[in-house]
Amino acid sequence: MSLRQLDAITFEEKIYGNEETCLIIFSRKSCHVCKQVVPVLEELQPKYEGKFGFYYVDTEENISLFQRFSLKGVPQILYFDSGEFRGKQAGLVDEEKVEGKIATILEA
Amino acid sequence: MEDAKQSYDLIVIGGGPAGLSAAIYGGRAKLRTLLINKGALGGMVDTTREIVNYPGTINVSGPDLMRDFIKHAESFGVTFLKDEVVSTDFAHDRKKVTTKKKKEFSAKAVIIAAGNEPRLLNIPGEKELQGSGVAYCATCDAEFFEGEDVVVIGSGDQAIEEGMYIAKFARKVTIIVLHDEGILDCNKVSAERALSHEKMEFIWNSTIEEVLGVGEDSVEAVIIRNIKTGKSTELACQGVFFFVGMIPSTRFLQASGLEMDSRGYIPVNEQMETNLEGVYAVGDNRIKYLRQVVTAASDGATAAVAAERYIEEQDDFHMNVLQSQKKVLLLFFDAFNQESLELSALLEEVNLDLPENYRIVKIDMATKKNLARKYQIEKVPSVLLLDKGLEIKRLDCYLDKDKLKSQL
Repeated sequence: MSLRQLDAITFEEKIYGNEETCLIIFSRKSCHVCKQVVPVLEELQPKYEGKFGFYYVDTEENISLFQRFSLKGVPQILYFDSGEFRGKQAGLVDEEKVEGKIATILEA
Repeated sequence: MEDAKQSYDLIVIGGGPAGLSAAIYGGRAKLRTLLINKGALGGMVDTTREIVNYPGTINVSGPDLMRDFIKHAESFGVTFLKDEVVSTDFAHDRKKVTTKKKKEFSAKAVIIAAGNEPRLLNIPGEKELQGSGVAYCATCDAEFFEGEDVVVIGSGDQAIEEGMYIAKFARKVTIIVLHDEGILDCNKVSAERALSHEKMEFIWNSTIEEVLGVGEDSVEAVIIRNIKTGKSTELACQGVFFFVGMIPSTRFLQASGLEMDSRGYIPVNEQMETNLEGVYAVGDNRIKYLRQVVTAASDGATAAVAAERYIEEQDDFHMNVLQSQKKVLLLFFDAFNQESLELSALLEEVNLDLPENYRIVKIDMATKKNLARKYQIEKVPSVLLLDKGLEIKRLDCYLDKDKLKSQL
Protein backbone atom coordinates (compact mmCIF):
# COMPACT_ATOMS: atom_id res chain seq x y z
CA MET A 1 0.00 0.00 0.00
CA SER A 2 1.39 3.39 -0.90
CA LEU A 3 2.26 5.86 1.85
CA ARG A 4 -0.12 8.66 2.72
CA GLN A 5 1.16 12.01 1.44
CA LEU A 6 1.36 14.99 3.73
CA ASP A 7 1.53 18.69 2.90
CA ALA A 8 2.34 21.59 5.24
CA ILE A 9 -1.20 21.68 6.66
CA THR A 10 -1.73 17.93 7.21
CA PHE A 11 1.82 17.69 8.57
CA GLU A 12 0.99 20.23 11.27
CA GLU A 13 -2.22 18.40 12.08
CA LYS A 14 -0.70 14.90 12.40
CA ILE A 15 2.52 15.74 14.16
CA TYR A 16 1.64 18.61 16.46
CA GLY A 17 -2.20 18.45 16.54
CA ASN A 18 -2.78 14.74 17.01
CA GLU A 19 0.74 14.17 18.34
CA GLU A 20 0.94 10.98 16.34
CA THR A 21 3.72 8.44 16.81
CA CYS A 22 4.98 8.14 13.27
CA LEU A 23 7.67 8.42 10.64
CA ILE A 24 7.75 10.66 7.58
CA ILE A 25 9.95 10.05 4.58
CA PHE A 26 11.11 13.16 2.77
CA SER A 27 11.55 12.17 -0.84
CA ARG A 28 11.47 13.45 -4.40
CA LYS A 29 10.61 11.98 -7.78
CA SER A 30 14.07 12.24 -9.37
CA CYS A 31 15.88 10.39 -6.56
CA HIS A 32 16.83 6.78 -7.22
CA VAL A 33 17.83 6.05 -3.64
CA CYS A 34 14.34 7.15 -2.56
CA LYS A 35 12.90 4.63 -5.02
CA GLN A 36 14.65 1.93 -3.05
CA VAL A 37 13.69 3.14 0.43
CA VAL A 38 10.02 4.01 -0.16
CA PRO A 39 9.02 0.39 -1.01
CA VAL A 40 10.70 -0.80 2.21
CA LEU A 41 8.39 1.51 4.18
CA GLU A 42 5.35 0.54 2.11
CA GLU A 43 5.99 -3.07 2.99
CA LEU A 44 6.45 -2.41 6.71
CA GLN A 45 3.41 -0.16 7.02
CA PRO A 46 0.68 -2.86 7.46
CA LYS A 47 2.64 -4.51 10.27
CA TYR A 48 2.39 -1.34 12.38
CA GLU A 49 -1.22 -0.50 11.52
CA GLY A 50 -2.77 1.41 14.42
CA LYS A 51 0.51 1.60 16.34
CA PHE A 52 2.86 3.65 14.21
CA GLY A 53 2.08 5.99 11.32
CA PHE A 54 3.88 6.03 7.95
CA TYR A 55 3.80 9.20 5.85
CA TYR A 56 5.42 10.72 2.76
CA VAL A 57 6.43 14.29 1.96
CA ASP A 58 7.37 15.36 -1.55
CA THR A 59 10.15 17.90 -0.99
CA GLU A 60 9.66 19.60 -4.32
CA GLU A 61 6.04 20.39 -3.52
CA ASN A 62 6.70 21.26 0.13
CA ILE A 63 9.84 23.35 0.23
CA SER A 64 8.80 25.09 3.45
CA LEU A 65 8.67 21.79 5.37
CA PHE A 66 12.04 20.83 4.05
CA GLN A 67 13.66 24.09 5.03
CA ARG A 68 12.06 24.00 8.43
CA PHE A 69 14.03 20.89 9.37
CA SER A 70 17.09 22.20 7.50
CA LEU A 71 17.48 18.93 5.63
CA LYS A 72 20.24 18.66 3.04
CA GLY A 73 19.25 15.74 0.91
CA VAL A 74 16.81 12.95 0.30
CA PRO A 75 15.72 10.39 1.25
CA GLN A 76 15.45 11.14 4.94
CA ILE A 77 13.14 9.50 7.39
CA LEU A 78 12.11 11.71 10.31
CA TYR A 79 10.60 10.19 13.44
CA PHE A 80 8.10 11.90 15.75
CA ASP A 81 6.37 11.01 18.97
CA SER A 82 4.05 13.18 21.10
CA GLY A 83 4.78 16.19 18.95
CA GLU A 84 8.52 15.85 19.42
CA PHE A 85 11.23 15.16 16.90
CA ARG A 86 12.83 11.81 17.77
CA GLY A 87 15.62 11.50 15.20
CA LYS A 88 16.23 10.87 11.52
CA GLN A 89 17.82 8.36 9.16
CA ALA A 90 19.42 9.45 5.89
CA GLY A 91 20.22 7.69 2.64
CA LEU A 92 19.82 4.02 1.88
CA VAL A 93 18.37 2.39 5.00
CA ASP A 94 16.96 -1.13 5.22
CA GLU A 95 13.98 -2.49 7.15
CA GLU A 96 16.14 -3.62 10.06
CA LYS A 97 17.28 -0.06 10.75
CA VAL A 98 13.76 1.31 10.41
CA GLU A 99 12.26 -1.38 12.63
CA GLY A 100 15.03 -0.87 15.18
CA LYS A 101 14.25 2.84 15.38
CA ILE A 102 10.50 2.21 15.60
CA ALA A 103 11.09 -0.27 18.43
CA THR A 104 13.10 2.21 20.50
CA ILE A 105 10.37 4.84 20.07
CA LEU A 106 7.53 2.46 20.92
CA GLU A 107 9.37 1.13 23.97
CA ALA A 108 10.18 4.59 25.35
CA MET B 1 9.98 -33.12 -4.64
CA GLU B 2 11.15 -29.65 -5.40
CA ASP B 3 8.54 -26.95 -5.40
CA ALA B 4 8.03 -26.24 -9.10
CA LYS B 5 7.24 -22.62 -8.36
CA GLN B 6 10.68 -22.03 -6.83
CA SER B 7 12.60 -23.99 -9.44
CA TYR B 8 13.98 -22.33 -12.58
CA ASP B 9 16.36 -23.03 -15.42
CA LEU B 10 18.22 -19.76 -14.94
CA ILE B 11 18.47 -17.29 -12.06
CA VAL B 12 19.91 -13.85 -12.74
CA ILE B 13 21.02 -11.88 -9.66
CA GLY B 14 20.86 -8.15 -10.39
CA GLY B 15 18.70 -5.97 -12.63
CA GLY B 16 21.08 -3.52 -14.28
CA PRO B 17 21.89 -3.63 -18.01
CA ALA B 18 24.02 -6.79 -17.65
CA GLY B 19 21.38 -8.72 -15.71
CA LEU B 20 18.53 -7.50 -17.91
CA SER B 21 20.43 -8.45 -21.09
CA ALA B 22 21.12 -11.92 -19.66
CA ALA B 23 17.42 -12.23 -18.85
CA ILE B 24 16.43 -11.12 -22.37
CA TYR B 25 18.68 -13.78 -23.94
CA GLY B 26 17.62 -16.40 -21.37
CA GLY B 27 13.94 -15.68 -21.93
CA ARG B 28 14.32 -15.75 -25.69
CA ALA B 29 16.06 -19.14 -25.44
CA LYS B 30 12.90 -20.36 -23.66
CA LEU B 31 14.74 -20.88 -20.38
CA ARG B 32 12.52 -20.44 -17.33
CA THR B 33 14.28 -17.32 -16.09
CA LEU B 34 14.01 -15.56 -12.73
CA LEU B 35 15.60 -12.15 -12.21
CA ILE B 36 16.11 -11.15 -8.56
CA ASN B 37 16.85 -7.50 -7.91
CA LYS B 38 17.03 -5.75 -4.57
CA GLY B 39 16.18 -2.17 -5.45
CA ALA B 40 14.69 -0.40 -8.43
CA LEU B 41 15.47 -2.12 -11.75
CA GLY B 42 18.06 -0.47 -13.98
CA GLY B 43 21.06 -0.53 -11.65
CA MET B 44 23.55 2.31 -11.78
CA VAL B 45 22.23 3.32 -15.21
CA ASP B 46 19.03 4.39 -13.50
CA THR B 47 21.08 7.12 -11.82
CA THR B 48 22.55 8.43 -15.07
CA ARG B 49 20.91 11.53 -16.48
CA GLU B 50 22.26 11.29 -19.98
CA ILE B 51 23.71 8.46 -22.09
CA VAL B 52 25.19 9.48 -25.42
CA ASN B 53 27.25 6.42 -26.37
CA TYR B 54 24.86 3.49 -26.43
CA PRO B 55 25.11 2.54 -30.12
CA GLY B 56 21.99 3.30 -32.13
CA THR B 57 20.63 5.59 -29.44
CA ILE B 58 22.02 9.08 -29.86
CA ASN B 59 20.83 10.56 -26.58
CA VAL B 60 18.71 8.95 -23.90
CA SER B 61 18.29 9.19 -20.13
CA GLY B 62 19.41 6.23 -18.05
CA PRO B 63 15.93 5.48 -16.67
CA ASP B 64 14.37 5.64 -20.18
CA LEU B 65 16.93 3.25 -21.64
CA MET B 66 16.45 0.84 -18.73
CA ARG B 67 12.67 0.98 -19.09
CA ASP B 68 13.12 -0.40 -22.60
CA PHE B 69 15.47 -3.16 -21.36
CA ILE B 70 12.87 -4.14 -18.73
CA LYS B 71 10.01 -4.16 -21.26
CA HIS B 72 12.14 -6.26 -23.56
CA ALA B 73 12.85 -8.84 -20.84
CA GLU B 74 9.16 -8.90 -19.87
CA SER B 75 8.19 -9.59 -23.48
CA PHE B 76 10.20 -12.83 -23.32
CA GLY B 77 8.42 -14.05 -20.21
CA VAL B 78 11.11 -13.38 -17.63
CA THR B 79 9.88 -13.53 -13.99
CA PHE B 80 10.95 -10.57 -11.82
CA LEU B 81 11.32 -10.69 -8.07
CA LYS B 82 12.10 -7.75 -5.85
CA ASP B 83 14.21 -9.18 -3.06
CA GLU B 84 17.85 -9.44 -2.07
CA VAL B 85 19.97 -12.58 -2.35
CA VAL B 86 21.78 -13.05 0.97
CA SER B 87 23.32 -16.50 0.56
CA THR B 88 24.01 -19.10 -2.09
CA ASP B 89 24.81 -22.78 -2.42
CA PHE B 90 26.61 -23.52 -5.66
CA ALA B 91 28.05 -26.90 -4.67
CA HIS B 92 25.50 -29.06 -6.50
CA ASP B 93 24.03 -29.39 -9.98
CA ARG B 94 21.01 -27.43 -8.82
CA LYS B 95 22.29 -24.09 -7.58
CA LYS B 96 20.39 -22.58 -4.65
CA VAL B 97 19.91 -18.99 -3.59
CA THR B 98 18.27 -17.70 -0.41
CA THR B 99 16.79 -14.22 -0.15
CA LYS B 100 16.41 -11.70 2.63
CA LYS B 101 12.68 -12.49 2.77
CA LYS B 102 13.72 -16.09 3.48
CA LYS B 103 12.65 -17.52 0.15
CA GLU B 104 14.66 -20.25 -1.54
CA PHE B 105 15.04 -20.70 -5.27
CA SER B 106 17.00 -23.15 -7.33
CA ALA B 107 18.19 -23.21 -10.92
CA LYS B 108 20.43 -25.14 -13.27
CA ALA B 109 22.57 -22.05 -13.86
CA VAL B 110 23.09 -18.72 -12.11
CA ILE B 111 24.29 -15.44 -13.61
CA ILE B 112 25.68 -12.91 -11.13
CA ALA B 113 25.11 -9.31 -12.19
CA ALA B 114 25.12 -7.62 -8.80
CA GLY B 115 27.00 -4.55 -9.99
CA ASN B 116 28.90 -2.23 -7.72
CA GLU B 117 28.22 0.52 -5.22
CA PRO B 118 29.87 3.77 -4.12
CA ARG B 119 32.93 3.33 -1.95
CA LEU B 120 32.90 5.08 1.39
CA LEU B 121 36.04 6.88 2.59
CA ASN B 122 35.18 6.05 6.20
CA ILE B 123 36.51 9.32 7.54
CA PRO B 124 35.17 11.10 10.63
CA GLY B 125 31.96 12.97 9.93
CA GLU B 126 31.17 11.15 6.70
CA LYS B 127 28.54 8.83 8.12
CA GLU B 128 27.31 11.12 10.89
CA LEU B 129 26.56 14.00 8.52
CA GLN B 130 24.98 11.99 5.69
CA GLY B 131 21.78 13.78 4.71
CA SER B 132 22.92 16.86 6.58
CA GLY B 133 25.41 18.01 3.96
CA VAL B 134 27.27 14.82 3.07
CA ALA B 135 25.86 13.36 -0.15
CA TYR B 136 26.55 10.74 -2.81
CA CYS B 137 23.97 11.58 -5.48
CA ALA B 138 23.91 14.89 -7.31
CA THR B 139 20.62 14.20 -9.06
CA CYS B 140 18.99 13.63 -5.69
CA ASP B 141 20.54 16.39 -3.65
CA ALA B 142 22.25 19.10 -5.74
CA GLU B 143 19.27 21.44 -5.57
CA PHE B 144 19.46 21.57 -1.79
CA PHE B 145 22.73 23.47 -2.09
CA GLU B 146 21.39 26.44 -4.04
CA GLY B 147 23.76 29.39 -3.60
CA GLU B 148 26.07 27.49 -1.25
CA ASP B 149 29.68 26.28 -1.31
CA VAL B 150 30.12 22.61 -2.13
CA VAL B 151 33.17 20.35 -2.08
CA VAL B 152 33.41 17.35 -4.43
CA ILE B 153 35.93 14.58 -3.82
CA GLY B 154 37.19 12.61 -6.82
CA SER B 155 38.09 13.26 -10.45
CA GLY B 156 36.55 10.37 -12.40
CA ASP B 157 33.70 10.75 -14.92
CA GLN B 158 31.12 10.67 -12.17
CA ALA B 159 32.86 13.21 -9.92
CA ILE B 160 33.44 15.75 -12.69
CA GLU B 161 30.10 15.36 -14.45
CA GLU B 162 28.12 15.42 -11.21
CA GLY B 163 30.29 18.36 -10.09
CA MET B 164 29.20 20.32 -13.14
CA TYR B 165 25.58 19.47 -12.40
CA ILE B 166 25.98 20.67 -8.81
CA ALA B 167 27.53 23.91 -10.16
CA LYS B 168 24.15 24.74 -11.73
CA PHE B 169 22.85 25.30 -8.20
CA ALA B 170 25.82 25.94 -5.93
CA ARG B 171 27.67 29.25 -5.66
CA LYS B 172 31.02 27.49 -5.95
CA VAL B 173 32.16 23.90 -6.41
CA THR B 174 35.64 22.93 -5.19
CA ILE B 175 36.96 19.65 -6.55
CA ILE B 176 39.55 17.82 -4.45
CA VAL B 177 41.88 15.84 -6.74
CA LEU B 178 44.58 13.34 -5.75
CA HIS B 179 46.71 13.99 -8.85
CA ASP B 180 49.09 16.72 -9.96
CA GLU B 181 47.71 19.98 -11.33
CA GLY B 182 45.72 19.56 -14.54
CA ILE B 183 45.31 15.78 -14.30
CA LEU B 184 41.76 14.44 -14.01
CA ASP B 185 40.68 10.79 -14.32
CA CYS B 186 37.56 11.64 -16.31
CA ASN B 187 37.07 11.78 -20.09
CA LYS B 188 38.77 14.64 -21.99
CA VAL B 189 35.58 16.43 -23.02
CA SER B 190 34.35 16.70 -19.44
CA ALA B 191 37.83 17.63 -18.19
CA GLU B 192 38.10 20.58 -20.58
CA ARG B 193 34.64 21.82 -19.70
CA ALA B 194 35.27 21.51 -15.97
CA LEU B 195 38.71 23.15 -16.01
CA SER B 196 37.31 26.22 -17.73
CA HIS B 197 34.07 26.32 -15.73
CA GLU B 198 33.71 29.66 -13.98
CA LYS B 199 32.11 28.21 -10.84
CA MET B 200 34.57 25.36 -10.42
CA GLU B 201 37.84 25.39 -8.55
CA PHE B 202 40.40 22.65 -8.08
CA ILE B 203 42.65 21.66 -5.20
CA TRP B 204 45.38 19.31 -6.44
CA ASN B 205 47.47 16.57 -4.76
CA SER B 206 44.92 16.41 -2.00
CA THR B 207 42.38 14.29 -0.21
CA ILE B 208 40.02 14.99 2.64
CA GLU B 209 40.45 13.61 6.12
CA GLU B 210 37.44 14.87 8.04
CA VAL B 211 34.05 16.50 7.60
CA LEU B 212 33.30 19.04 10.29
CA GLY B 213 29.74 19.72 11.31
CA VAL B 214 27.64 21.71 13.71
CA GLY B 215 26.64 18.69 15.76
CA GLU B 216 25.01 16.29 13.34
CA ASP B 217 22.78 18.94 11.81
CA SER B 218 24.90 20.60 9.16
CA VAL B 219 28.30 20.62 7.50
CA GLU B 220 30.49 23.66 8.12
CA ALA B 221 33.87 22.67 6.70
CA VAL B 222 36.19 19.91 5.51
CA ILE B 223 39.79 19.28 6.43
CA ILE B 224 41.90 18.87 3.32
CA ARG B 225 45.28 17.21 3.42
CA ASN B 226 47.92 17.80 0.79
CA ILE B 227 49.48 14.39 0.17
CA LYS B 228 52.76 15.91 -1.06
CA THR B 229 53.40 18.34 1.78
CA GLY B 230 51.36 16.50 4.42
CA LYS B 231 49.84 19.84 5.41
CA SER B 232 46.20 20.04 6.45
CA THR B 233 43.93 23.01 5.82
CA GLU B 234 40.33 23.76 6.61
CA LEU B 235 37.90 24.80 3.87
CA ALA B 236 34.48 26.15 4.81
CA CYS B 237 31.55 24.62 2.90
CA GLN B 238 27.93 23.61 3.38
CA GLY B 239 28.00 20.43 1.31
CA VAL B 240 30.36 17.55 0.51
CA PHE B 241 29.79 15.07 -2.32
CA PHE B 242 31.83 11.87 -2.33
CA PHE B 243 32.64 10.23 -5.68
CA VAL B 244 35.66 8.13 -4.74
CA GLY B 245 35.08 5.14 -6.92
CA MET B 246 33.10 1.97 -6.60
CA ILE B 247 33.34 -1.41 -4.92
CA PRO B 248 31.66 -4.59 -6.24
CA SER B 249 28.46 -5.64 -4.48
CA THR B 250 29.67 -9.21 -4.01
CA ARG B 251 29.89 -9.53 -0.23
CA PHE B 252 26.95 -11.98 -0.18
CA LEU B 253 29.13 -14.40 -2.18
CA GLN B 254 31.98 -14.57 0.31
CA ALA B 255 31.10 -18.10 1.49
CA SER B 256 30.06 -19.36 -1.96
CA GLY B 257 33.43 -20.76 -3.01
CA LEU B 258 33.45 -18.33 -5.90
CA GLU B 259 36.87 -16.97 -6.76
CA MET B 260 37.25 -13.21 -6.26
CA ASP B 261 40.15 -10.77 -6.25
CA SER B 262 41.18 -8.80 -3.15
CA ARG B 263 38.61 -6.09 -3.89
CA GLY B 264 35.77 -8.56 -4.47
CA TYR B 265 35.66 -8.51 -8.29
CA ILE B 266 35.01 -11.90 -9.94
CA PRO B 267 37.40 -13.20 -12.60
CA VAL B 268 35.76 -14.91 -15.60
CA ASN B 269 36.84 -16.31 -18.96
CA GLU B 270 35.57 -15.34 -22.40
CA GLN B 271 32.29 -17.23 -21.80
CA MET B 272 31.77 -15.33 -18.50
CA GLU B 273 32.32 -18.62 -16.65
CA THR B 274 33.54 -18.36 -13.06
CA ASN B 275 35.58 -21.03 -11.31
CA LEU B 276 32.27 -22.80 -10.48
CA GLU B 277 30.44 -24.80 -13.15
CA GLY B 278 27.13 -23.27 -14.17
CA VAL B 279 27.86 -19.97 -12.42
CA TYR B 280 28.59 -16.88 -14.51
CA ALA B 281 29.52 -13.29 -13.62
CA VAL B 282 28.67 -10.30 -15.83
CA GLY B 283 28.79 -6.51 -15.84
CA ASP B 284 30.37 -4.26 -13.25
CA ASN B 285 30.97 -6.97 -10.62
CA ARG B 286 33.49 -8.83 -12.78
CA ILE B 287 37.09 -7.94 -13.53
CA LYS B 288 36.93 -6.05 -16.82
CA TYR B 289 38.48 -3.30 -18.88
CA LEU B 290 35.47 -1.10 -19.64
CA ARG B 291 32.37 -0.60 -17.50
CA GLN B 292 29.69 0.78 -19.79
CA VAL B 293 26.08 -0.09 -20.70
CA VAL B 294 27.16 -1.57 -24.01
CA THR B 295 29.77 -3.87 -22.45
CA ALA B 296 27.36 -4.85 -19.66
CA ALA B 297 24.79 -5.84 -22.29
CA SER B 298 27.44 -7.80 -24.17
CA ASP B 299 28.44 -9.68 -21.00
CA GLY B 300 24.82 -10.56 -20.29
CA ALA B 301 24.27 -11.95 -23.78
CA THR B 302 27.45 -14.02 -23.68
CA ALA B 303 26.70 -15.51 -20.26
CA ALA B 304 23.09 -16.36 -21.12
CA VAL B 305 24.16 -18.22 -24.28
CA ALA B 306 26.92 -20.03 -22.38
CA ALA B 307 24.39 -20.93 -19.66
CA GLU B 308 21.88 -22.12 -22.26
CA ARG B 309 24.47 -24.49 -23.77
CA TYR B 310 25.58 -25.67 -20.35
CA ILE B 311 21.99 -26.45 -19.33
CA GLU B 312 21.33 -28.31 -22.60
CA GLU B 313 24.49 -30.34 -22.04
CA GLN B 314 23.49 -31.15 -18.46
CA ASP B 315 19.97 -32.16 -19.50
CA ASP B 316 21.23 -34.38 -22.33
CA PHE B 317 23.75 -35.95 -20.06
CA HIS B 318 21.15 -36.70 -17.38
CA MET B 319 18.80 -38.30 -19.84
CA ASN B 320 21.23 -40.22 -22.04
CA VAL B 321 24.05 -41.14 -19.69
CA LEU B 322 23.09 -40.99 -16.01
CA GLN B 323 19.65 -42.51 -16.49
CA SER B 324 20.63 -45.04 -19.16
CA GLN B 325 19.80 -48.66 -18.32
CA LYS B 326 22.54 -49.83 -20.65
CA LYS B 327 26.19 -49.09 -20.12
CA VAL B 328 27.32 -46.10 -22.14
CA LEU B 329 30.18 -45.60 -24.57
CA LEU B 330 30.91 -41.87 -24.43
CA LEU B 331 32.71 -40.73 -27.55
CA PHE B 332 34.31 -37.30 -27.71
CA PHE B 333 34.68 -36.19 -31.32
CA ASP B 334 35.35 -33.13 -33.44
CA ALA B 335 33.74 -32.75 -36.86
CA PHE B 336 37.01 -31.39 -38.25
CA ASN B 337 39.02 -34.35 -37.03
CA GLN B 338 38.94 -37.18 -39.60
CA GLU B 339 40.22 -39.80 -37.17
CA SER B 340 37.44 -39.12 -34.71
CA LEU B 341 34.81 -39.45 -37.46
CA GLU B 342 36.24 -42.79 -38.58
CA LEU B 343 36.36 -44.05 -35.02
CA SER B 344 32.73 -43.01 -34.57
CA ALA B 345 31.64 -45.19 -37.52
CA LEU B 346 33.81 -48.07 -36.38
CA LEU B 347 32.42 -47.94 -32.86
CA GLU B 348 28.87 -48.23 -34.21
CA GLU B 349 29.90 -51.25 -36.23
CA VAL B 350 31.61 -52.97 -33.29
CA ASN B 351 28.64 -52.29 -31.06
CA LEU B 352 26.27 -54.11 -33.43
CA ASP B 353 28.44 -57.22 -33.23
CA LEU B 354 28.46 -57.37 -29.44
CA PRO B 355 26.03 -59.73 -27.73
CA GLU B 356 25.25 -57.22 -24.98
CA ASN B 357 25.50 -53.89 -26.71
CA TYR B 358 26.05 -50.42 -25.32
CA ARG B 359 24.40 -47.08 -25.77
CA ILE B 360 26.72 -44.83 -27.75
CA VAL B 361 26.61 -41.13 -26.84
CA LYS B 362 28.61 -38.74 -28.99
CA ILE B 363 29.92 -35.49 -27.61
CA ASP B 364 31.07 -32.69 -29.89
CA MET B 365 34.18 -31.27 -28.22
CA ALA B 366 33.80 -27.98 -30.08
CA THR B 367 30.61 -27.03 -28.22
CA LYS B 368 30.35 -29.26 -25.14
CA LYS B 369 33.41 -28.25 -23.23
CA ASN B 370 31.93 -28.79 -19.76
CA LEU B 371 31.62 -32.56 -20.17
CA ALA B 372 35.12 -32.80 -21.58
CA ARG B 373 36.34 -30.95 -18.51
CA LYS B 374 34.31 -33.15 -16.19
CA TYR B 375 35.98 -36.31 -17.55
CA GLN B 376 39.32 -34.60 -18.14
CA ILE B 377 39.32 -35.28 -21.87
CA GLU B 378 42.07 -33.44 -23.71
CA LYS B 379 42.13 -35.01 -27.18
CA VAL B 380 39.79 -36.37 -29.83
CA PRO B 381 38.89 -39.05 -30.34
CA SER B 382 38.44 -40.32 -26.80
CA VAL B 383 36.10 -43.07 -25.66
CA LEU B 384 34.95 -43.77 -22.12
CA LEU B 385 32.95 -46.74 -20.89
CA LEU B 386 30.48 -45.55 -18.26
CA ASP B 387 27.92 -47.11 -15.98
CA LYS B 388 25.37 -44.58 -14.63
CA GLY B 389 27.93 -41.88 -15.28
CA LEU B 390 30.79 -43.60 -13.47
CA GLU B 391 33.89 -44.30 -15.49
CA ILE B 392 34.68 -48.01 -15.82
CA LYS B 393 37.52 -47.58 -18.25
CA ARG B 394 39.08 -45.52 -21.02
CA LEU B 395 39.39 -47.23 -24.39
CA ASP B 396 42.49 -47.09 -26.53
CA CYS B 397 41.27 -45.54 -29.75
CA TYR B 398 42.61 -47.94 -32.40
CA LEU B 399 41.12 -47.57 -35.86
CA ASP B 400 40.92 -51.34 -35.96
CA LYS B 401 37.72 -53.28 -35.39
CA ASP B 402 39.26 -56.22 -33.54
CA LYS B 403 41.48 -54.15 -31.31
CA LEU B 404 38.49 -52.04 -30.35
CA LYS B 405 36.26 -55.05 -29.79
CA SER B 406 38.79 -56.79 -27.57
CA GLN B 407 38.52 -53.92 -25.08
CA LEU B 408 34.77 -54.38 -24.65
